[in-house]
Amino acid sequence: MHKVVLDEFRGYYSRLPAEQLDVKDFVRREYALLHFGDQKMIRHLKFDSVSELKRSLVEGVPANVYYSSAYYRNPQADDMNAKGWEGADLIFDIDADHIRTDCKDEHDTWACLDCGCRGRGFPPDACPKCGMKKIDTVTWVCEGCLETAKREIFKLIDDFIVPDFGVSLGEIEICFSGHRGYHLHVVSEGVRGLTGDGRREIADYVRGIGLDPKEHGFRQVTGTGPIVGPDMRDGGWRGKIARAIYEFVSGRSQEELRAVVGPVVADNISKGREKFLQNISDAPPHWGGMRGYSLESLMKIANAAAREHVCNIDERVTLDVKRLIRQPNSLHGKSALKTARVSYSDLERFDPLRDAVAFMGGSIKIYVKEIPRVRIGDCEVGPAKGTEMEVPRALGLYLLCKGAADPRV
Amino acid sequence: MSKMLTKEDLAKYPFLDQSAAFIEGYNLTLSDLSAPAYSGIVGRAVERVRCSIEGGASPLQLGDPETEILSYPLALALVYASRVRWLVNRFATFEAKRCEELLKMETAPKLAEVAKASFGWRVGLEDLKLEWERLTFSLGMAEYLEVAPQFHSPSWKLTNKYVDRGRVFLDAKDFARLLAENLKLRIIRKAGEEGVKDFELPAALQPHLGGIAGLLEGKRQLYEDEFPEGLVDDARPPCIVAIMNDLSAGKSLSHMARFAITTFMLNVGESVDGVLKLFGNVADFDEGKARYQVEHIAGITGSRTKYAPPKCEVLRSFGLCAEPDRLCATVSHPLNYYKRKVRAGAGAKAPTGGEAPTREGRVKGRGRGAGAAGVGGEKGAQGRPR
Ligand code: SF4
Ligand SMILES: [Zn+2]
Ligand SMILES: [Zn+2]
Repeated sequence: MHKVVLDEFRGYYSRLPAEQLDVKDFVRREYALLHFGDQKMIRHLKFDSVSELKRSLVEGVPANVYYSSAYYRNPQADDMNAKGWEGADLIFDIDADHIRTDCKDEHDTWACLDCGCRGRGFPPDACPKCGMKKIDTVTWVCEGCLETAKREIFKLIDDFIVPDFGVSLGEIEICFSGHRGYHLHVVSEGVRGLTGDGRREIADYVRGIGLDPKEHGFRQVTGTGPIVGPDMRDGGWRGKIARAIYEFVSGRSQEELRAVVGPVVADNISKGREKFLQNISDAPPHWGGMRGYSLESLMKIANAAAREHVCNIDERVTLDVKRLIRQPNSLHGKSALKTARVSYSDLERFDPLRDAVAFMGGSIKIYVKEIPRVRIGDCEVGPAKGTEMEVPRALGLYLLCKGAADPRV
Repeated sequence: MSKMLTKEDLAKYPFLDQSAAFIEGYNLTLSDLSAPAYSGIVGRAVERVRCSIEGGASPLQLGDPETEILSYPLALALVYASRVRWLVNRFATFEAKRCEELLKMETAPKLAEVAKASFGWRVGLEDLKLEWERLTFSLGMAEYLEVAPQFHSPSWKLTNKYVDRGRVFLDAKDFARLLAENLKLRIIRKAGEEGVKDFELPAALQPHLGGIAGLLEGKRQLYEDEFPEGLVDDARPPCIVAIMNDLSAGKSLSHMARFAITTFMLNVGESVDGVLKLFGNVADFDEGKARYQVEHIAGITGSRTKYAPPKCEVLRSFGLCAEPDRLCATVSHPLNYYKRKVRAGAGAKAPTGGEAPTREGRVKGRGRGAGAAGVGGEKGAQGRPR
């Protein structure tokens, strides 16, 4: 990595008050460092104090710093048995990279490694031209991406963590990852002992995997009788499905309904929409109270509606009982932004591209290879290609870390 | 002792904390039990183990609760000392079934008390009436998740449960089932613990172990490797064939498909590496990630229990039951399909794609469109005894 980046990173860690590196049960965690240009992490580190960790960051200037979601008896042991696993926080990872957003058309490109076919936006599963799956991507994040990730984290907290899992706001920590998304740590005692199997269930719950509306009270009384279903006030997915259907049916045009259940049923439901909705809200468990749609078509609506209420997490992170996760207030080697803690009450106003900036003042001269529009703090540049410019220090370091620019003196 | 639990309850549920306290009250060691005065207890303990092996009923002798209570830990000791994993599982399953039956007949407060006094579960007595269900219990989510992932039916998925503020609501039947399953898990897990793993029975009790070994002999073919090492291609059920075809075509799989193929392969005795090789074709293959997932499922990392593949019912609901054949109609689990075909001799030099010489194989050949006649003919020929 360029010397200027290393120097700035070192400067950041020297200035950083050591206690900002603290995490719950600091000494029971494993720490890991990844240096610039390295593929392999240095793992199984143990630190007895935050100042010891700080010293090692100032000396080594790693690109990325991690700690374990797990608590260990011997964090420094390199063998899992000897480590003595004693539980782990429950982690959720929301990454804008995995979410389809419209803005990706503006800043992301992909290319097929087999035939060279190129395109903009969210990469396809397989190349549309040759059908191969080796797709290379160049991705950026913008305010739109980060806002989407933020909405997703709110959904996670407000729709799942608090009402369904019964976790209080005092038991969670929210972090901006320093690049493309957010991490949510549940640090309550109650989740520590969860096994991988249990965590998988939690991840599936949040993602709506295996959700079967029929398990939530939908039934047709006798063959062609009235349809009964859940109450919008019910707990868990049961109530969520009811609310989702209400929202779906009230907010969709006849055309949109047709796409889900076919023309006949869609027309019947649109005709009786008022009554349909009123029954869901006022007369549970009697759904609809009208003819012209079957339980099966209602299930189609339920599934389509539920899709809009699932939360887009990276499940691998959640079901891992010993994940390495970014150290709060460490720098991200691909952005020079910091992994910033955000409280729930500040989250709405939190602007990651301003509030996670780690370098104030100063400017840097750089040569820009190719960038879309990029903003850091108050400064916006691009789209640009093959030009030299002088930019604020934080923005310059951001582009250098992304590999989209070279330093100029 | 809790006011609610009687000595009879301790006999019915000898895993209760109070039962242990009761036994301690006798201040007996295992070797003491070999004295003639306790032959009744030893006899009952052996009987319990025998019943679990043979699958017969073992009526509770509530007229003599002391013997019931004292014979339980001894029966467990015999099972652990046998070091036969099959027996541990078998005994655990047997005890769990026995308890489940009894638990189902208890009142809600009694059930809750048993759960608290045995596993320390924080049980809530609720009265949640839904349209046709009555959910009388609530359990902390973490406690629920310790056990429920053992069940692979969709109705046990957390996603399909009534959940509120960290509690999972259950009806009495499911609650009893969960409690019994937890008992089973604990018995099995304990077998791997220090001090139990290498547990030796006092010499005076050893002869009883010999008797149990004799009983086990008769079941040997049941617990010795049921499958030949590695996958027998021709015995694969259609769903698994379809997933494997997708894999070799380089398609990426849904979560459920990945889970199904991985668990299936591991359960028929493939190694983690063998399974990983399967995934190697897929473009989004990430060896590290994939290895983690496969090992997780194999039970090497993360969790301790090994997963079984989902039942046909589940695969069907995920759209993975592809072109079921006639044998499919008689099984409810892809592993059963596989077992039956392996037993019927699939893979005994049958060319790839060849049908096993089962009855199903032979009666086949009712056209599956053009070309089917030819294929069916071949199959018919192969079906003849060789
Ligand atoms: S019936 Fe079962 S075994 Fe047969 S294809 Fe379907 S899921 Fe597989
Ligand atoms: Zn291509
Ligand atoms: Zn964007």
